[in-house]
Amino acid sequence: MSRVLVTGGTTTVGRALVRKLLADPDVERVLVVGNEPQRSSLALDGRLTHLQADLARERSVRSLVFGPVREEGVTTIVHMATHRAVVEGERAHALHVEGTRRLLHFAERVPSVRRFVYRSFGSVYARDARLPVRIDEDHPLRIGTRTPQTILDRVEADLAVCARMGMSRISIAVLRCAECLAPGAGSQLWDYLQSKVCLRPMGFDPMINVISDEDLSRALLLAARSDAEGIFTIPGLDTLPLSRIIARFGRRDVPIPGPAVRPLYRLRRVAIRADFHPDVSRGRLHFGGVLDGERAAKVLGYEPETPVRWPLQLTEVSRRSMVRNPRSLRGRVERWLSRQ
Amino acid sequence: MARGELIDTPDWIRLLAKVVAPRRERERFRAMLAEERRAFERSHGYDVFGAHPDGAAIAHFVTGFLYDRWFRVKSEGHAHIPATGPVIVAANHSGTLPFDAMMIYADLLRRTDPPRLPRAVADSFVAGLPFIGLLFARAGVVGGARRNVEYLLQEDELLLIFPEGVPGISKRFGQRYQLQRFRGGHVELAMKYGASIVPAGLVGAEEQMPQIARLPLRLFGAPFLPVPATPLPLPVRYHLAYGEPIRFERDPEAADDPVRIREGTERVQSAVQELIDRQLAEREGLFR
Repeated sequence: MSRVLVTGGTTTVGRALVRKLLADPDVERVLVVGNEPQRSSLALDGRLTHLQADLARERSVRSLVFGPVREEGVTTIVHMATHRAVVEGERAHALHVEGTRRLLHFAERVPSVRRFVYRSFGSVYARDARLPVRIDEDHPLRIGTRTPQTILDRVEADLAVCARMGMSRISIAVLRCAECLAPGAGSQLWDYLQSKVCLRPMGFDPMINVISDEDLSRALLLAARSDAEGIFTIPGLDTLPLSRIIARFGRRDVPIPGPAVRPLYRLRRVAIRADFHPDVSRGRLHFGGVLDGERAAKVLGYEPETPVRWPLQLTEVSRRSMVRNPRSLRGRVERWLSRQ
Repeated sequence: MARGELIDTPDWIRLLAKVVAPRRERERFRAMLAEERRAFERSHGYDVFGAHPDGAAIAHFVTGFLYDRWFRVKSEGHAHIPATGPVIVAANHSGTLPFDAMMIYADLLRRTDPPRLPRAVADSFVAGLPFIGLLFARAGVVGGARRNVEYLLQEDELLLIFPEGVPGISKRFGQRYQLQRFRGGHVELAMKYGASIVPAGLVGAEEQMPQIARLPLRLFGAPFLPVPATPLPLPVRYHLAYGEPIRFERDPEAADDPVRIREGTERVQSAVQELIDRQLAEREGLFR
């Protein structure tokens, strides 16, 4: 792993990965591809080169692969470029699906490239009362007529990469990662938590696994270093109910009748152009799903280590509900509970 | 998060647990879960299925009245339940609404020594029931998906399974104490993970709530809506007996053999039937 190309390297997770790569003395070159102009925070090392490319355009991907990738003798590609918000339409499809497919196909024609790591999402898996809570690599995927394009794109891109496993001379790893609570990481849960009031279906409180940007970038690094081919689910350290995630973010948790959640969030999306899309998260506010990291631990040596940096600590969560209105029934109950 | 430290729990669960369960009980469940579950320490006090010590404490209280006063459960054979390792308690299912499952759960919660949290395996639609699915999950109930059960056996848990499934609980009154054909999944998994199967026979539940009709309403994924003859279950006495454990060596090849699975399933079914027959013969009356 001496020369690495990282697409989506200007996101929070991408920057964390690049820092880890640069900390490794064996890494000779790191090419970071972003859709934005160069960022100064990533340009402090002589081994780092920033490239601007639009992966939604075939010409741009071709120029990238047969230009800098071939010239620099890149050996490993970590592909994690994605739209930072839920965007649908031809351009989103071109970036997520066609961009991924082209990048891999062109890379197969560059002799120096030996490793391709694709960062996929845990959201490609279906969630339902009848499905297991522990999600391993063989869990059913979310494909159906009611699945929104964003998810279908993610599934298609994932499967397009998987389809080349064993057929390509490049060794390929697909990492289906838990929700990363960081801006620009493609997490719908993050978008959901940006609102001060979080509506939740009454009578449900699913268990959700979340991963820190630190753990996610480490998993990508381990996959890039490894030669192991296959699909790996990548869990995070924190598994907790949705209501506790809302509380840890200092948001107001408002349970409402289940059928009202989607229409209200759709209305909100239309009214204020919010990033959270209720159809993308269909089923995820009702039913738990925790990724199983057994294969990643065994093959890649990945174990989650770093907890998410919660905006509120546990003691603050408790104090906050008391302080908000000490005279309210909730405040009185909190005081009573804390005395017990 | 070390045991005894602040555990991240929603207010209403903490409130309910503190109202209904004494501190000693809550601490006991907290210790029970902490010892049983490796993941407990890093998952904010919950396991991956959503079980929580305060949820178990609430279940302990809620089932207490039914267990002690309403159904006055008489149970025997607890010594047959292994103290460690993966165990499947396989019981007969009956009574229109699953009070039988609640009473066996309560009995295992109270009478296992050292205490073990029983993980009742419910039909998959239960997780889709608002409030009920959530409360059950907090108490340790899991959906009947195969991977869920496999994971719990790998974690050496004590499982409560009803191999008859929905046909058992929904059978007509005239068919009482006639076991429906057992499904073989529990035997297959016992062979795969080297688990012991403890047969359990429950007498009394068949008469608690005779079913007079089934409405073809598929609410929240339930197969039908039962119409019981009585609005509340009758206060019949429950008689519960655990039999000798049937031990299966870890043998993944046997788990793929349908003939051996069928043989094992018939063995479990006849052991449960024997326990039922014995208790029916000894029973002096519905309410005694």
